[in-house]
Amino acid sequence: MTVLDKVAPEGSKAGERVSPRPTFRHRLSRWDVKISPYLYVAPFFIVFGIAGLFPLLYTAYVSLFKWKAGSDDPDFIGLDNYKDLLGDGQFWNALTNTVSIFLLSSVPQIILAVLLAALLGARLRGATGWRVGILLPYAASLVAIGIIFANLFGPKYGLINGVLQTIGLDPVDWQASRFGSHVAIAIMVNWRWTGYNALIVLAAMQAIPKELHEAALIDGAGTWRRFFNVTLPLLKPTLIFVTITSTIGGLQIFTEPKLFDALPGSNNGGSSNQFQTVTLYLYQSAFENYNLGYASAIAWMLFLVIVIIALVNFFLTGRLARTPAVKKK
Amino acid sequence: MTTLQGGLRKSVATLGKPRKATYVVLAIFVLGSLFPFYWSFLVASRDNGMLTERIPPFLPGGNFFANASRVFDSVPFWKALGNSIIVSGTVTLTTVLFSSLAGFAFAKLRFRGRNGLFVFIVVTLAVPTQLGIIPLFIAMSELGWAGHLQAVIVPNLVTAFGVFWMRQYTVDALPYELIEAARVDGCSMIRIFWNVCLPAVRPAAAILAMFTFMMSWNDFLWPLVVLDAGNPTVQVALEKLQSGYYVDYSLVLAGTTLATIPILIVFVLLGRQIVAGIMQGAVKG
Amino acid sequence: MRTIRNGLVLALGITMTALGATACNGGGGDQQTPAAAAPNEHVDLTLATFTEFGYEALIPEYERLHPNIKITHRKTGAGGPYHQDLITKLAAGSGLADVTAVEEGHLSDVLDKGSKFNDLSKIGPADASPDRWLSWKYDAAKTKDGKLIGYGTDIGPLAMCYRKDMFKAAGLPEDPEQVKPLFATWDSYFSTGADFVKKSGGKAWFDSAAQNFNAMVNQLPEGYISTDDKLAVETNQGIKDAWTKVTDAVAKGESAKLTAFSNEWNTGFKQGAFATKVCPAWMLGVIKEQAGPENAGKWAVTAAFPGGGGNWGGSYLTVPTQSKHPKEAAELAAWLTAPEQQIKAFQAKGTFPSQVKALTDPALLSKTDDYFGAKVGELFAEQAKKVQKPQYKGPGDGQIQENASSPALQAVEQGKSAADAWNQMVEAAKKITR
Repeated sequence: MTVLDKVAPEGSKAGERVSPRPTFRHRLSRWDVKISPYLYVAPFFIVFGIAGLFPLLYTAYVSLFKWKAGSDDPDFIGLDNYKDLLGDGQFWNALTNTVSIFLLSSVPQIILAVLLAALLGARLRGATGWRVGILLPYAASLVAIGIIFANLFGPKYGLINGVLQTIGLDPVDWQASRFGSHVAIAIMVNWRWTGYNALIVLAAMQAIPKELHEAALIDGAGTWRRFFNVTLPLLKPTLIFVTITSTIGGLQIFTEPKLFDALPGSNNGGSSNQFQTVTLYLYQSAFENYNLGYASAIAWMLFLVIVIIALVNFFLTGRLARTPAVKKK
Repeated sequence: MTTLQGGLRKSVATLGKPRKATYVVLAIFVLGSLFPFYWSFLVASRDNGMLTERIPPFLPGGNFFANASRVFDSVPFWKALGNSIIVSGTVTLTTVLFSSLAGFAFAKLRFRGRNGLFVFIVVTLAVPTQLGIIPLFIAMSELGWAGHLQAVIVPNLVTAFGVFWMRQYTVDALPYELIEAARVDGCSMIRIFWNVCLPAVRPAAAILAMFTFMMSWNDFLWPLVVLDAGNPTVQVALEKLQSGYYVDYSLVLAGTTLATIPILIVFVLLGRQIVAGIMQGAVKG
Repeated sequence: MRTIRNGLVLALGITMTALGATACNGGGGDQQTPAAAAPNEHVDLTLATFTEFGYEALIPEYERLHPNIKITHRKTGAGGPYHQDLITKLAAGSGLADVTAVEEGHLSDVLDKGSKFNDLSKIGPADASPDRWLSWKYDAAKTKDGKLIGYGTDIGPLAMCYRKDMFKAAGLPEDPEQVKPLFATWDSYFSTGADFVKKSGGKAWFDSAAQNFNAMVNQLPEGYISTDDKLAVETNQGIKDAWTKVTDAVAKGESAKLTAFSNEWNTGFKQGAFATKVCPAWMLGVIKEQAGPENAGKWAVTAAFPGGGGNWGGSYLTVPTQSKHPKEAAELAAWLTAPEQQIKAFQAKGTFPSQVKALTDPALLSKTDDYFGAKVGELFAEQAKKVQKPQYKGPGDGQIQENASSPALQAVEQGKSAADAWNQMVEAAKKITR
């Protein structure tokens, strides 16, 4: 590296065309260009090989068996677990719940996150404080969150129902009602994750050159037009990132519905599975019913669903953010 | 450049200046964010009885230090803290470094298989993780790592999330012109990464560092399963406080309050780094 | 199994070699029944428990008595993550502690996987004989083919707790001796409850329907699973009768409809939301903590339980076949569950002993609790002896209680019709045992 540093400036450009046989230095430089990308992405694949690949193969393999954890010889049953799953009402119920909670949480969350990021991007006094403040819910302990939300949404003694009754409305049984429980869980999700996504968007906004905003301002664009015509298009890669990770995270939602259940530690998602999500069902199958084969099939099925929905979202996001108002470069 | 009219010049100058309403909206959000921490501290500074009060008190009680010292008596807090710092520190450094490197390669370098490999990485994010601990435990036992800190560190050295994020950020934040200029100057790839790319993606790296540290710090189940009893991380150690048929939350929340302090320190240190990249000036010049 | 395991090892091997990582040859041990260590050879043992077993002071004592043995105690706080860890290591085939505690609710699953645990009646020391324990406690840990896979630690004999002040206000007796007839049978219990609701102006009689239902089902000669391992939810008339009684009581307003251990249930103690409570020995601590000092003197406990007696909770110490030192592990488990040690554990953490001799120990009998104004040691020792022979717990029994019947009763309390909820329970139970 240091060698290249000192000698390269004169060498590189002239040399390439003139000499038919590249010098050692040129070859080194070519190798650098060729090999470096692979070296840079290699760490991920090495770690994946050690800790990611085997679990994938294992669950794929196990999903072909009637495999109870700790039992002596599981039966090979081919794709029967998958067939059973397609006819399993509880699975479809869980998938419906998951998508419902996902829609109730992700959509408002991303919109709020972008707006919050825009606010945070202003030249605030005490900027770090605001940013850290907004991210705090992500750092809060799950024990505390569980108790606080139970106190808020308790059907009998909960604060929210208390307020509803005070202003003359009917209390909602947040645990029993299907839609009510989804709303409560979505609020919990949004509370935890909006700041997190806002910071991601904020970082991307920081990379937008100020000159673009100035130019648009000179062209007479107002705040909103600048936002839609300058900011949003340039945020496209980040918005794709946020949408895809929120889709994946949203469809794998686990912690919040589990914390929300009145019965501590339960994976039932309420008395009649009214807020059981796919991952809760998966977890219950594996770690309560010992049914590793079936749980693995659920995992792979969920994987498929996520990939499909993520692809759809990918194209949608691409459309939304493709406003051709600003020339780049 | 055209001459600006007076009013317009003024609005260019005030571009990005916050209004009062901005502070009000943000303050509401931050209060909502702070509430659980304050509430945890309230319980930690009082006793369990507070939880069954319908209207909780507003001011902390005087029991925090007594509760905190009970935490120190009940669990090997300092040893666990040391382990957590080693684990989360290592994981954060390597994740940021390796993710930035891979993000740089995927965003700005051309190589065969680039798109395929990148899509593969994103797709691995969609694999549900709940079942993973069984095969992962088998793998770690076969490697002889079960019981050692590397069993917690190695699987998290770099994440698909990190690579995806850094790639998306680098695409727009790092102009090709800068890379080309550096190539002309004869810089090697790694030098370009270090001197040109890293400074440009600093805000993204800072955020990734915050997230990674958090995730690693609060990871519970996998360390519980794979680490030896005498060698816990903070979350594993603190879980022991939730024993018995009823949980003493003033003790538990005193523990979590203590365990959150390092996160806050890391947040404040890294939060300062989320500032406009150096590219602002560089593009201009 | 052999081929499957080889297949997995092969897959792992390919993964590893493809990446140039070298697999160390640890674990994977296929050797059967390792020989006992020589008398003075150094042995490392691990002991895994959850919540409070009260063994902290006992472990150094054992190490003093056996200088060649070093014990590592792996203690988890809550039962949930503890048992998930257990299943992970059971499935992975390695990593379980030499002495592994198992909670009563998970016992049916562990019995189902009896081949993964050592038969303690074979490898355990002679002094850990059946007559050490209450027979129902001992017998419950035997597999169908007669293997003993766990030594009993503690139990949760059932009594009844009640609010004296609420009883008085509704015109019921409040003295622990005089209330006993009210708690003679489930019928007397529920009909007194119906009266209570009327006289108290609509106050609830009990906290949660599932809490009573579980106890009722446990008293039946057969439970959810018949002795030939068939699902009996639909055929066992006793279950249906219990269901009818409990759901009728809910319809009469006897239930406070609070899910056990939920946040609102905790608050319910302080608010005086219900007048009686199914009360295993360990529940006293819960009530005291949740009801708080402001309700001191209001709660009482009596040595009576509808339908005779019952048990809720308690654990066993097992020795998984994964252990490299099963003999030493069994010795440690036997020592820890001996009456002398369990009495010390009782004194340390209040875990109620399951050993016959411990139940007559002065340290236990003299134990009183001012909050309830009762000689609780003597009271629960008496209740422990009322438990009949253990019900056979077939595979899936624990999960049916957790994930079929309890949620279905919760649904009834949330407004579902008893008939619909019954169908929900049957469907869920079928799925669990499928």
